[in-house]
Amino acid sequence: MKTTLSWLKEYVDIDMSAHELAHILTMTGLEVEGMEPVGRFLDDIIVGKIEEVRPHPRAERLSICTVDAGSQKVKVACGAPNVAPGVLAPLILPAGRLPNGTLIEEIRIRGELSTGMLLAEDEIGLTDDHSGIMMLDPGPAPGERLTAVLGFPDWVFDIAITPNRPDCASVIGIAREIAVATGRTLRIPDAHMDETGPPIQELTSVTILDPEACPRYAAGVIQEVTPGPSPFWMRYRLHHSEVRSINNLVDVTNYVMLEMGQPLHAFDYDRLRENRIVVRRAREGESFTTLDGQTRTMSRENLMICDGQRPVALAGIMGGLNSEIFANTRHVLIESACFDPVTIRRGSKRLGLSTEASYRFERGADIGGAGLALKRALSLMSRLSGGKVAKGLIDNYPRPWTPPHIRFRTEHANRILGASLSQTAVKGFLEALGMDVRQTDDHELMVLPPSFRVDISREVDLIEEVARCYGFDRIPLTYPTIRPSEQGDAAEVFFHEQVGSIMTGLGFSEVITYSFISSDAVDVLRADKESPIRSVVRLMNPLTIDQSVLRTSLIPGLMAAVKTNVAHDQKGLRLFEWGKTFFQKAGDQLPLETIWIAAVMAGRFQEKTWYQEERKCDYYDIKGAAEALLNGIGLNDMRFQKEEAHPGYDREVFAGIYCAERRIGRIGRIDSDVMAAYDLKDEDAYLFELDIASILTLLSRTTQFQPFPRFPAVLRDLSLIVDRQIESARILDIIRREGGDFLESVRIFDLYEGKKLGTSQKAIAFRICYRSAHETLEGEQVNRLHEAIIEKIHQETGGRLREG
Amino acid sequence: MKAQLLELETRALKEIDAIAEFSELEAFRIRYLGKKGQLTRFVKQIGRLAPEERPAMGKLANRIKKELSDRFEQAKAALDSPKAGGRASLMDLTLPGRAPVRGHLHPISRVIQEVCRIFSRMGFRVVKGPNVELDYYNFEALNIPRDHPARDMQDTFYITDNIVLRTHTSPMQVRVMESQKPPVSIIAPGKVYRRDSDVSHTPMFHQVEGLLVDKGVTFGDLKGTLASFVHQMFGNETPLRFRPSFFPFTEPSAEVDIRCVMCKGTGCRTCSHTGWLEILGSGMVDPEVYRFVDYDPDVYSGFAFGMGIERIAMLKYGIDDIQLFFKNDMRFLRQF
Repeated sequence: MKTTLSWLKEYVDIDMSAHELAHILTMTGLEVEGMEPVGRFLDDIIVGKIEEVRPHPRAERLSICTVDAGSQKVKVACGAPNVAPGVLAPLILPAGRLPNGTLIEEIRIRGELSTGMLLAEDEIGLTDDHSGIMMLDPGPAPGERLTAVLGFPDWVFDIAITPNRPDCASVIGIAREIAVATGRTLRIPDAHMDETGPPIQELTSVTILDPEACPRYAAGVIQEVTPGPSPFWMRYRLHHSEVRSINNLVDVTNYVMLEMGQPLHAFDYDRLRENRIVVRRAREGESFTTLDGQTRTMSRENLMICDGQRPVALAGIMGGLNSEIFANTRHVLIESACFDPVTIRRGSKRLGLSTEASYRFERGADIGGAGLALKRALSLMSRLSGGKVAKGLIDNYPRPWTPPHIRFRTEHANRILGASLSQTAVKGFLEALGMDVRQTDDHELMVLPPSFRVDISREVDLIEEVARCYGFDRIPLTYPTIRPSEQGDAAEVFFHEQVGSIMTGLGFSEVITYSFISSDAVDVLRADKESPIRSVVRLMNPLTIDQSVLRTSLIPGLMAAVKTNVAHDQKGLRLFEWGKTFFQKAGDQLPLETIWIAAVMAGRFQEKTWYQEERKCDYYDIKGAAEALLNGIGLNDMRFQKEEAHPGYDREVFAGIYCAERRIGRIGRIDSDVMAAYDLKDEDAYLFELDIASILTLLSRTTQFQPFPRFPAVLRDLSLIVDRQIESARILDIIRREGGDFLESVRIFDLYEGKKLGTSQKAIAFRICYRSAHETLEGEQVNRLHEAIIEKIHQETGGRLREG
Repeated sequence: MKAQLLELETRALKEIDAIAEFSELEAFRIRYLGKKGQLTRFVKQIGRLAPEERPAMGKLANRIKKELSDRFEQAKAALDSPKAGGRASLMDLTLPGRAPVRGHLHPISRVIQEVCRIFSRMGFRVVKGPNVELDYYNFEALNIPRDHPARDMQDTFYITDNIVLRTHTSPMQVRVMESQKPPVSIIAPGKVYRRDSDVSHTPMFHQVEGLLVDKGVTFGDLKGTLASFVHQMFGNETPLRFRPSFFPFTEPSAEVDIRCVMCKGTGCRTCSHTGWLEILGSGMVDPEVYRFVDYDPDVYSGFAFGMGIERIAMLKYGIDDIQLFFKNDMRFLRQF
């Protein structure tokens, strides 16, 4: 809500600076989100008095005005239609600057010298009016500074109104908070008027068919109005509250809404058939044209204001075109009603139409204040448009409001706040806020909030008010005693940190990508129809197509990150992400959320330096990283098993990762089509993905210390030639199996695939460490075992010892 | 031949003792041990000896070769040693080391870890929950009924009418209280989603939620706990203030502002010229929430708070564009 300092001052004395006031408002809970001085850079503008107006000899639309500028008289060319002798208007002389920075110079316009410029309101930043020059009220002398005449500086405050405080969506509401915070008195404006028209009962009636949705409907009639522009002071205030000025009838309703928070609507009385009001639910499918010119289809959700025959307004939201005030309006019916917040909110949501009125009604209007607002509007309207106010008001109030009676325990409040407020102090605060406070006994109060405080119905609501009035900053800082919990952190928390430090240690940088992806991204991965990665969770209201489903794979996000970086010429990428995938479940169940750690390598593995040559990454680099990570978190004996590729992976280079017979992840090369889809045709990328939940179940065992061996080891090398289709893991399995208890470890230390062996064979060299836990192994013993292993390998794989 | 070999050995050992320069040493190696060196020539001749002489001569030649090689290495090492003052000065100690590649933790993870560490030390335990949440946990049980304007405070992504992407980490309050009796002291970091994307908003971001419920927890305790957090996170001297606000699930509710870290309070663009930066929402748990989890509000009280991690990271590291967090550009990530 935006309002000016000068407007606030009408209801409460403010004798501090604008910045001090902003601080006070913010600290009472009305956060000032912005403040700007009105009419900055106005110092060069003075009051000019037009003495003579004659037409420009060579320009039909211009006049040459002789203007008294105080110290001198100047001739000014002006195109405004409202220049006339005797008019006081803002004037700027040559060498002065307009607020927008324009330097004014003496110029010739079609041969006539123009010394200065008469200004319109918008040129000074006061309103958006550009229909003519600004007409100042009589009084000031020519040459006087405009800022002095207008009582500037003035300030516009932009105040954030929390949803619980609709009463503060009004200038008086804000002024009330200032009054409470500064100990001043609030001045409620005068709503006095002369009721010179006929009795209202002769003019109209109000029927409420849905009293739940409309607990109060007050109406007044004003006759023989003269529509015209509103005076400057009103247009100025509306403008700075961001409401467009229409005319002196409509403006009054908006003005009073801003002033008191009560939305009003002005109907053209003559256009109301049978000159009466009926409040009812809309009929399903009923169509209605609101005053923005849009024809809308209604449902039972919408509440309509009707005349004797047809709808004339969308209750609490917007008026209708058919009963709108126009230039020839003679009589006006003003509505000041209260509507059920939920009805208005549903209606407004359904139509996608939100207005200043619906904003206030859905938060809760002051049902008790509808009458005063109506009187205020009638009073202002008769003053501004010269109309006659009908005698009396219609006030159809089928559901009279009764205040809640709230028990307030001072001791309880102090216990919640950690304060030691006296009952007297509490009483003072609550009364200042307009509450009716009755003392029950020394420890308890009975509190009845005013009707405009729709947010207060419970003791805790009062506790907040008391705390606010006392000042949050005055409540002393204390430190709670936090009792230790039986439970520790969620299982994945420590693990997450551990993975982070291992991966960064391995040279991988962490990325965070969006949980949503494009539904096309799944197609790009070439998932077939039955693939689980197709069971995506769809957003009902995505922001963009690219973010319309929840990801079932981390690959699209990682590839996008690779793409971004390749585009920025980053040569060697190692990225990882810890993130969730989401799989749809049947019915109204929450999706299955699975946590993954995924890592990708692309491009260069190492760069050329003084000690090494450049090299591209390959499968064994990513596999090494996967192994290092798994070892680091305490898993050993992983198995990488070639299998049918998962969507996104290259068929030729893909393996499942297993540990203790459990599939814990997958690894491989990204499919070249996927690379192409991310504009990475010339790159290779390698990836692994590990399922955190299954790893966590494997990690339940704590590491067990193993004593150092007491007997010496015997090392034997074994160099074999095998068919290239034989996987090294198969031979390792045989060695381990046959080696039994005496086999301590085995590793592959050489591999040869090349010309010498032809295309179908390869040579692999193993270094085996034999050791017994119970004795020193004899050479003969080891030799027998070693031979047996070689024999077994030969039997099972056809592998034979490599000669020499 | 034996005599010749022994003579060669004596001569060579004498020479090497006198060598004080690398160039001489290298010349020595070529002279004796090189392909055409004197010793190598002898070795080649051994093959032509009578078979019975070969082993002895071979052995002798090998012994001398080893001797000379060893002495050569020793001399080289001696010349290399700093004491010799020779070659040591030629070793370029400033060449870059053989560095392993270093990876970088995302700044969001860094901040989450830091926040969690601070609260863990105070006795809060870390819990995690689903990103996709029932309307019940995200709104209903947090006292945000359907058709309530407070729903407008957060633009929501819907999966179905009853399932949403959580708009805040606050559902964890309800989930935890539902599963245990007081005392409760938890923090819950995680991703949250709002249907909002512009220069200062991303549709996904991170929050950390906190909740303490026990007998006798006060608003003063809330202030103390959060002041302690702010001082650990932003430095001991950072001024802060508690400002009344509104959240449907806390009452009284307070926003926590810290003195602008950029301008130190004089007013700048970052703080919209107010001198203060909003970093936390907090408040005493609303009794209405206790009703959903069956806690007695006359026995227990507590406070809850939530903070946006991106915002804290931006303030802490001076990042001016929230979009950078999810672009995953190495030029950004590498800085952390």
